[in-house]
Amino acid sequence: MTSAGTIEVEALRKVFHQTGTGEAVVAIERLDFVVAQGEIVAIVGQTGCGKSTFLNLLIGLDRPTDGRIVIGGRVPYDQFDHFRGVLAAVFQQDRLLPWRTAIDNVRLPLELLGQQPSDQVERARAWLDRLGLARFEQAYPHELSGGMRQRVALARAFVIEPALLLADEAFGHLDEVTAAALRTAFVDLARTAGNTAILVTHQLEEAIELGGRILVFGRPGKLLADIDLKTWPVGAVASLRAEIQRMLQSNAPEPRFAVRTERESRA
Amino acid sequence: MKPGDTIGGETVAALEARAPFRFPREMVVALAVLAIAWEIVSLLVPPFIVPGWGRIFKSLATLRMDFVLVTLARVVGALVISFALGLGLAVVMYASVAVERYGRPIVRLLMAVPVVCWILFAVLWFKWVEFRIAFVLVVVCGPVFLVDVLDAMKGVSKDLRDMLRSFRPTRAQTFTKLVLPATVPAILTSWKINLSLAIRVVTIAELVGAVTGIGYGLVVAQELFSVSDVFAWTLILVVILFLAEAVLTRVEERVLRWRA
Repeated sequence: MTSAGTIEVEALRKVFHQTGTGEAVVAIERLDFVVAQGEIVAIVGQTGCGKSTFLNLLIGLDRPTDGRIVIGGRVPYDQFDHFRGVLAAVFQQDRLLPWRTAIDNVRLPLELLGQQPSDQVERARAWLDRLGLARFEQAYPHELSGGMRQRVALARAFVIEPALLLADEAFGHLDEVTAAALRTAFVDLARTAGNTAILVTHQLEEAIELGGRILVFGRPGKLLADIDLKTWPVGAVASLRAEIQRMLQSNAPEPRFAVRTERESRA
Repeated sequence: MKPGDTIGGETVAALEARAPFRFPREMVVALAVLAIAWEIVSLLVPPFIVPGWGRIFKSLATLRMDFVLVTLARVVGALVISFALGLGLAVVMYASVAVERYGRPIVRLLMAVPVVCWILFAVLWFKWVEFRIAFVLVVVCGPVFLVDVLDAMKGVSKDLRDMLRSFRPTRAQTFTKLVLPATVPAILTSWKINLSLAIRVVTIAELVGAVTGIGYGLVVAQELFSVSDVFAWTLILVVILFLAEAVLTRVEERVLRWRA
């Protein structure tokens, strides 16, 4: 049986049609890869490479034009309700509900899952505490700094202990110190819980800092490279950085990073 | 200092939110200047055109204050009914695109009909005076509530919708956890608009057929050619409106304390 956090992406394609003209815009040309349960993966690419579109497809907010995404043996768009409590996302903006206090924002997913109010409070409080926000649980989002709000959003994602955690440019707009701290917290929490985590970013440094697997996306939505940083000696990371940058600029894969499709891997 | 900064363990925004009541000096000065100007004009023209404050206050003492309560009861009752209908229909139109597409033109049509026409229709169609007044108020205020609430529901940010959807809420949960709370500011604004509208409309509606209420009081004053009574009633209406708006503003500050 497939683990709940395993992701299989096969011949995925997404085309949008412009309002008015009806002109087709290819957001994702073709994507094939597999992410194993508990793996932490960074998706890096320039603006317009379909990263956010891919994440929306992964969450199940949108339907692929062709191909498929399967998470734990199920299709997120078609079997939407199955993923209740299975996945959680942190977005570029914190997306906190402004009329709820920090603790009530963290409780939100637990309310949706129908948990006991006392359990909701206990678990939300524990996560806020863990992220250093114990003193601010009754603060409204507008009373918190950007970094604090994003920590509340992290707590909201982690509180349901999902099998799959997604972050869409979640730390890119914060100052470097705060971003690094939150990134570390995100990865540590994911590792501790054994979650599969996908972190989408346009910052190469951020992807490298995660120290796990990097999927390099080219335009429009194609896989240029699939790199496992653990197989790279520490001293070679600088040259790897330069090679990824070259790939991103040329929008073409380097031969040594040739990506095999899922079907080819299986064969 | 930014809202997120802290002083003594509390955020700046939280401390600012508890700032003491600020005396509305500018408003008081402006109204005082207007009152003095009025008094000066009343000294220059005959009292049957512009009565002085002394005459107006003397009239105030003789007016039937139970009429004020009657008018207020009509306004509050009709606004509650209008809100319930407006909110209910907004929810239905929000839930069904087809109902909204067919319903919108009808609502726009209702809003385009002048108040005077509604009053005439009410007189022609209904015998019972209270029903006439309630009908006019509901048909004028109901569509305003409906449009304001519906637009607010449809205007809920896509980012927040997507965030909530990622947690897989039921339709009812989406409505109660996101759409309804997000609509509260628009609901309060709509109450403010409709309160002012209803107080003006009820007075006109009471001119036709009613034997109680401020509108009726105004008719009597006009028939007796008592200009000071007319001004006294007008003063009462303005004060009611100011007080009601002040109450709603306080409610708004309390309910929307989460706003920056």
